[in-house]
Amino acid sequence: MTITNDLEVEESRSVSPSDRQTLASGAGFTVLLYFGCFFGAVTLSAALVQATGGSATEVFGALLDGSVRARGRWGQTLGISVPLILVGLGTVFSGRAGLINIGQEGQLYFGSAVACYAALRLGDSAGWTEVFPGPLVLIFCLVAGALGGAFWAGIAGALRYWRRVPEVLTTLLLVTVAAQVVGYGLRKDWLLAVPRDGSKAAWRNISTAQLPPDQRMPRIEVFGNSFPISVVIVLAITAVVTVVLTRSVWGFRLRMLGLNSRTAHRAGVAESRYGMVAIFISGGFAGLAGAMMLTGGDFGNYHLTPGFSVNIGFDGLLVALVARQMPIVVVPTALVFAGLRTGSGFLAATGVEREITKIVQAMLVLALLIPPAILFVRDRRRAMTATKSRT
Amino acid sequence: MGSFFTAMGDVLSNEVTFAGAVRFAALLAFCACGETIAERAGTLNISVEGMILGGAFAGACGYHVTGSVSIGLVCASASGFLIALIHANLSHRLAANTFVVGLALNILVLGMSAFLANYVKPSTRAAHKFGIPVLDDIPLVGQAFFYQPWPLYLIYPLIPFSWWLLYRTRWGLEIRAVGENPQSADVSGIDVNKRRRQGVYLSGLTSGLGGGYLILGQIGRFDDAMVGGQGFIAIAAVIFGGWTFRGAIAGCLLFGAVNSFRLSLPALGHEANPEFLSALPFLVTILTMMLFAHRTRQPTALAQPFIRGLK
Amino acid sequence: MSLTAGTAESAVPAVEFRGVNKRFGAIVACDDVDLVLHRGRIHGILGENGAGKSTLMKVLIGLVPRDSGTLFVDGIPVVISDPLDAARYGIGMVHQHFSLVEPLTVWENVMLGDEGRFDPLEIRRRIGEISERYGLGIESEAVVADLPVGLRQRVEIIKCLRRDPDIIIFDEPTSVLTPAESEQLFDVLRQAVQEENRAVALVSHKLNEVLGATDEITIMRSGRVVDRVETREADAPGLARSMVGREVSLRSSGAALGLVVKLIDKTGVEDAAVSEYEGNPVLTLTDLVVHSNDRKNALDTLSLDVHAGEIVGVAGVEGNGQEELTALMSSLVEAVSGSVSVDGRVVETGVAGSMARAGVAVVPADRHDSGVVLNLTVAENLFLVEPEKVSRRGLWDSGLMTRRASELISEFEIQAAGPDAPLWSLSGGNQQRVVLARELSNNPKVLIASQPTRGLDVGAIEYISNRLRGARRDGVGVLLISNELEEILDLADRIVVLFRGKIVGEMLRSDVDLEHLGMLMGGAIDDLVENSY
Repeated sequence: MTITNDLEVEESRSVSPSDRQTLASGAGFTVLLYFGCFFGAVTLSAALVQATGGSATEVFGALLDGSVRARGRWGQTLGISVPLILVGLGTVFSGRAGLINIGQEGQLYFGSAVACYAALRLGDSAGWTEVFPGPLVLIFCLVAGALGGAFWAGIAGALRYWRRVPEVLTTLLLVTVAAQVVGYGLRKDWLLAVPRDGSKAAWRNISTAQLPPDQRMPRIEVFGNSFPISVVIVLAITAVVTVVLTRSVWGFRLRMLGLNSRTAHRAGVAESRYGMVAIFISGGFAGLAGAMMLTGGDFGNYHLTPGFSVNIGFDGLLVALVARQMPIVVVPTALVFAGLRTGSGFLAATGVEREITKIVQAMLVLALLIPPAILFVRDRRRAMTATKSRT
Repeated sequence: MGSFFTAMGDVLSNEVTFAGAVRFAALLAFCACGETIAERAGTLNISVEGMILGGAFAGACGYHVTGSVSIGLVCASASGFLIALIHANLSHRLAANTFVVGLALNILVLGMSAFLANYVKPSTRAAHKFGIPVLDDIPLVGQAFFYQPWPLYLIYPLIPFSWWLLYRTRWGLEIRAVGENPQSADVSGIDVNKRRRQGVYLSGLTSGLGGGYLILGQIGRFDDAMVGGQGFIAIAAVIFGGWTFRGAIAGCLLFGAVNSFRLSLPALGHEANPEFLSALPFLVTILTMMLFAHRTRQPTALAQPFIRGLK
Repeated sequence: MSLTAGTAESAVPAVEFRGVNKRFGAIVACDDVDLVLHRGRIHGILGENGAGKSTLMKVLIGLVPRDSGTLFVDGIPVVISDPLDAARYGIGMVHQHFSLVEPLTVWENVMLGDEGRFDPLEIRRRIGEISERYGLGIESEAVVADLPVGLRQRVEIIKCLRRDPDIIIFDEPTSVLTPAESEQLFDVLRQAVQEENRAVALVSHKLNEVLGATDEITIMRSGRVVDRVETREADAPGLARSMVGREVSLRSSGAALGLVVKLIDKTGVEDAAVSEYEGNPVLTLTDLVVHSNDRKNALDTLSLDVHAGEIVGVAGVEGNGQEELTALMSSLVEAVSGSVSVDGRVVETGVAGSMARAGVAVVPADRHDSGVVLNLTVAENLFLVEPEKVSRRGLWDSGLMTRRASELISEFEIQAAGPDAPLWSLSGGNQQRVVLARELSNNPKVLIASQPTRGLDVGAIEYISNRLRGARRDGVGVLLISNELEEILDLADRIVVLFRGKIVGEMLRSDVDLEHLGMLMGGAIDDLVENSY
């Protein structure tokens, strides 16, 4: 079945020649609209905190402390932003092709499991760490993660293009399936589990072995903050992705597919081929994010544990949605979301539940949907009046 | 292999399995009734998951404050309606992307219910069962269908009512028209987006009610993970059923049965891979969609926003 | 509403527009319009596309609110805010692009948009009654999707008549009918008008239609009413002059004005049809079978060829496979059997871009569907089939792109804010020029033009027609698919008739027999064709 994605609304807001025109007119109104909605979301969240007995200023302060102010925290935030940026970028690919991928959480988790397997089993048993330098195994592990995520997303893609099953459902259903598959792997010695001596360990103690030091991401230390070099890698990836999506012919064809698949088909863009590539990339980025989470050390200290993905996949998806599918805006948005996450670690002292950050995130997404919707209708109305009756 | 068949036999001859199947199916059916109508009008409403959870939480609060299951159910339905209000107006008045709206609402409801649950701490318990005489003596399935907590019985009139609404009223005709060819409906004088909003409202009402049933009729205790993807399975049931009530309810029964089955198996003492069982309902859902999705005819304008004058 | 007894000259008109204005932003659609419709008469409202006549009727039917001026129904000033209001005042419209929902049945469609109790039995009874009275032959249980287009219009008519309107508006009704069916339609109109004393407005851009079916004519141009005549005193040149505002050569613009050009002597005109071609055809379709979503055999062993430097016109009423033929040549559908060859080489059907790569250019009937991408810029749309031409090593060369785009914009006289303007900001005619510019600039071997001038004003129609002739001069094989017979007769060298997915007849432009053509469009099979295909 075909579900037409109204990402057209999104697209008209992306940075491209198409938009210099619209942005120029009424730029002031646009900025006002966005700011207004942003503050609306923040205010509502603050009101919620106050209403349930907390103090909004305390919460705000705790969040700031936890994300950037306290010692060593902004390094943490950077580290957390790595997978968010990757997932966000990957989602932009699938979004441009007109696909609705909401299963990044599962793709990420599965990818991280494959990466872990590659690092622990293949590295050790094949004796590669003796023959090949550590960094090569690290790269291999990252690639494996990406392939794992791509495969997982590919299942949903195949079901969409060959069986017309809407990917919005399959990607999400596969998240639970991924959790179960990895959970199984964590229990089995021949997959991921650490060999134990007899006694059955409680679920919360299950984890894989720790990655050996040479399979970990090197870290940078700056002013008491420590973060993996994956941050730098990811920024480079962002630059490449931006160029590919906005300036390359392939990226253009992908956009065409998402905007009007029939015209695209006539112009030589085979829907299933481009769409599968887009969803592979999307899943691949999610899987890579998982691999980077594992090797970066900020999550789980180089162990893979149950629930490893800690909603990073879903958050990354939200990042892409808030960033209106623009690759460049993904980075600052991811930093904000990462800040919310690290900041929430300091919330315990204020007595306010951590879930407030989830609420803030969701409200931001909703609030930021309003300005483009209003602008879209306004612009279309303007154009219609200009072209009415003159052919 | 022999043990496989004995396991099957055990499960299928056990009344508890059937009772469980009906209980799970009921939640899906509450959602499917409203969602079928919403989708026939053209909206693929993925916030069903949030509507169930919101309904469950509101139902819990309602019961906590008043001690009455009925009031709890009313609160549940109202909360679903509230979520629908936001969704419908963002999608069909402001033309925002309906998938993004649905997704954000799911997360918002998850966050809010978890957050507020810690603050309010509602205490609830499931409604008592009560049996319908004579019918509950039917072997094997009688107990399943007719000896359940009473909120479940609400689904029995809801299904034919929904059918009547869609096929035997003018409103239902307009809903169907709006989902197939909104341009023609518009020219005929029908307010397309209004009908679509109303479709979503209905989905909110029934899914919220489903959430109320979930907490007050099935589980009895609030937990923010209690929905666990069943909203999406309900949507799959609607698609599996080709957007007809007959088909959707069949889908609900199927998925409910699988859910019950995976719990019965270990409960009856049979060994099976726990991860496989947990994943089973989702796998079956994917599998059935794979087999049936491409054969059904979807409402032509499904998931296509309508703005007058712009094709 | 009760019918007011009265003659055609009764003092109170059924409808009066007094000083009605409607603007859309800077564009004036209706400029101080005064118009009167009387009972017992068929009133033609004539004007080219964009003259404002459709907007005026939309004001009457409640789909568009007027800015100023007054509307009178039977002498009483009224406010009509939606179609239901209009229905209450006894105004009904038979739409050009139907208001039917295909998957629903006839009775469900007829009932759509009404108020009041849901009473299927009553509706079915009424449908039977109307169907019989006017000889329409429609079954109330039939599903609209199963009905051919000519019958669908009858459902529209029933839908309109069942509310017993005193005032009926027909909006461009004959575009989907064969000549014979058009005659039948006009008989229905006569009956409604004379025997039942209703007022009928016939909105059209076609001279011959208005001359043949009406009692009086109002001509509109640029939003204004420019003239009012009794039909029996009107003639084609005069009407044409009023429509377009200048002296018009019916020879060259007759088709654009909806005049059947056969009646005009074409000798001595440039670009006269050539009837002999040398060499092999540049496009050959052989025994093509294509299924569409609604129908099996939408194309039913269709065979056809086109030579270089020839315009082949595919005549036929909408719904006989034109859409599927265009879709096939756009690589959007796959043929179940049969083959397509371009310049002697077989081209795979259904494979993305294969037709385009083989040199097939397409100007589709619905450009929004498969011709353009509205949210991309003009420049992006100009190069979306062959972006390689303005790119280097996989990346856009924006300087080159802007230059080439500007060249095309001026060559094809496209009115837009610039190459970076979003396509949705262009008018329909300009969007069509963008499509044409893109397709012609790729040096195609074959050009498929499907309804290329639909909805355009005379100037744009002339432009596009000249471009098509220009393509022919350049040796392109042109396949012109059109519902408008006038257009085909004007442009084509050779005419084939498409009926139910098959070519049922063929004739050269120079020996066209209109009656025979009409019969073929309606389904009679040509014996000669039977044998040769």
